[in-house]
Amino acid sequence: MIKALRGVLRGYLFTIAGIAIGVAGIVALGAMAERIVRFIEGGDRFVLGQISVAGRGMGMGAGFTAGGLLPAMAIESIRKVEGVAGVQPQVMLPLNPSTSQFLTLTQELVVGMDLSVPSPNRNCRTLPVQSGRFLQPGDRHKAVIGASFAASRHLAPGAQLELEGQSYEVVGVLERMLTAPDRFVVVPIEDAREQWVSKDRLLRTVLASGGVALRAQDLNTGAAVGWRDGEDPDVVARRIRDQVGGVNVQIPSELSSLLRQSTAFFSALLVGLGLLAFVIGGLSLANTVAAAVFERIRDFGVKRALGATDWHLGREILGEALAVTLSGGALGVLLAVALGLGIDGWVRRSGQQLFLFSPRLLGGALVFSMLLGAAAAAYAALRIVRLSPAEAIRRGSAA
Amino acid sequence: MLPETVISARGLVKRFPAPSGPPIEVLAGANLDVRRGELVVVEGPSGSGKSTLLNVLGLLEDADAGDVCFGDRTVSRLGRGAKGRERGRWLGFVFQSFLLLPALTALDNVLLAARYTTGVDAERRRRAMALLERFGVAERRDHHPAQLSGGEQQRVAFCRAVLNDPPLLLADEPTGNLDDVNGAAILAALRERARDGGAVIVVSHRPDAAEGADAVFTLRSGQLQRAAVLK
Repeated sequence: MIKALRGVLRGYLFTIAGIAIGVAGIVALGAMAERIVRFIEGGDRFVLGQISVAGRGMGMGAGFTAGGLLPAMAIESIRKVEGVAGVQPQVMLPLNPSTSQFLTLTQELVVGMDLSVPSPNRNCRTLPVQSGRFLQPGDRHKAVIGASFAASRHLAPGAQLELEGQSYEVVGVLERMLTAPDRFVVVPIEDAREQWVSKDRLLRTVLASGGVALRAQDLNTGAAVGWRDGEDPDVVARRIRDQVGGVNVQIPSELSSLLRQSTAFFSALLVGLGLLAFVIGGLSLANTVAAAVFERIRDFGVKRALGATDWHLGREILGEALAVTLSGGALGVLLAVALGLGIDGWVRRSGQQLFLFSPRLLGGALVFSMLLGAAAAAYAALRIVRLSPAEAIRRGSAA
Repeated sequence: MLPETVISARGLVKRFPAPSGPPIEVLAGANLDVRRGELVVVEGPSGSGKSTLLNVLGLLEDADAGDVCFGDRTVSRLGRGAKGRERGRWLGFVFQSFLLLPALTALDNVLLAARYTTGVDAERRRRAMALLERFGVAERRDHHPAQLSGGEQQRVAFCRAVLNDPPLLLADEPTGNLDDVNGAAILAALRERARDGGAVIVVSHRPDAAEGADAVFTLRSGQLQRAAVLK
């Protein structure tokens, strides 16, 4: 049995190689699509887990807190709105303010969290830490950094990080989440406020003038708001908008839709690429298998002369096609994974990850290649058994 | 027990479409009876339809009219699967171009005859080895066809044809690609087969193929005409 299988596989070496290349293409493109999908899904999950509120107007705030100042009084007012379960003041700043805002999805952010308040985000109660620890109340000048941020700067727990002239100790590195937090630098909100003042010349001028009564706790770019069980988050968000003045409230479902719209181009591009990969890879695979079967048309004619029935040949061709497509598919998956890991190893130095080889993608590619291979083999087998053995031998000998 | 008449063909007609004009009638009502122990040689010029006749007799190709019977059973009207089973049960083929499977060794090529009929068991393996031994190619059993000479390939093909001990052996120009020595060896094996009680039909243009034949036919204008027998 094993000897026969080895013989079959040896005879189909080029076929297997052809299938492997087709499947590798499908898997590689699929893995890039998976990577983007994970990014979008991660962002979606996050924004759907909280109501994001920012101060009205323009300001330094970045990410979903982009807007003006959200003073403590406004936060207090939000807490009192019916249906609100918790409010966590936050400061989100671009790490490098000169970075254009249009690429906010991949922007590196400093996130200041009020550690005295538990995270109200229902889908993200804690950020998973891969090494070290998360921030604790009372921490100052300590930072927990995202996986991409850490990789691009070769930082690990214990390392020092310079932010706005202030040294921070990295106490933890987050797990790679393939979404926005991979590029976060999370610090206590007090430290983030210091950075904000340091970064924002206008704010510094206003504070120095003494013309506006601002306390430290007023320096928030936004807040994450949770809702009570049984409440509709969109309704609570609209209630906040109606009852609290001077705030920008993101309705969770609208923000999710906004996020999807902003990534629609990438999604469409990947769907297109994926379809193209499936069509080209699929056609190449089907053609390779069918050609390999037709190439042996003379052999099948001889076998029929020796007493093989349609059933014998069908079973044989299908069995061989499955063995060949499984081998080619597995080889293609390995090839794509090796290629992807190689490229990811290279781009990881800049904190990137281009491929995500999920089990559903790898399993799907194998099943897809086997089904397509079997279908192509069945088609070829049907064509062959319709010929008389003499005709099959004639055609095979003429080829 | 084999029937007295192993194969009989009545009124075989076979036409092939021509690029233009009416179809070419290769067989035009050919009749043939071959009894057990008989060696029948069919001669004829190239293109006269000898191979087509053999293909029709061996159920490798359907006739447009006429019947083929194995024993007393009409087999030419059976379905595809049943024809395959009858081929496996009744026939052994020796082809001019050997038609060994390139991916298989000599031994596996011989055993191929059993794969779709009796199944490959230890007894079949012993018999296959004995045949390879008898025809002087046992040492080449693990070689692939490309590693064998033409004479060796034809001897392996002959072993494949007789592995199941079929009642009827059909040989299409079995010496066409062989030198004199190897050709003579194959013809001797075919004659011996007939002497052992099998029926043998040989299509050949080689004059010495008719030596020792029980009947010689010439295919002319699609009909088989009995020629003198040189016994």
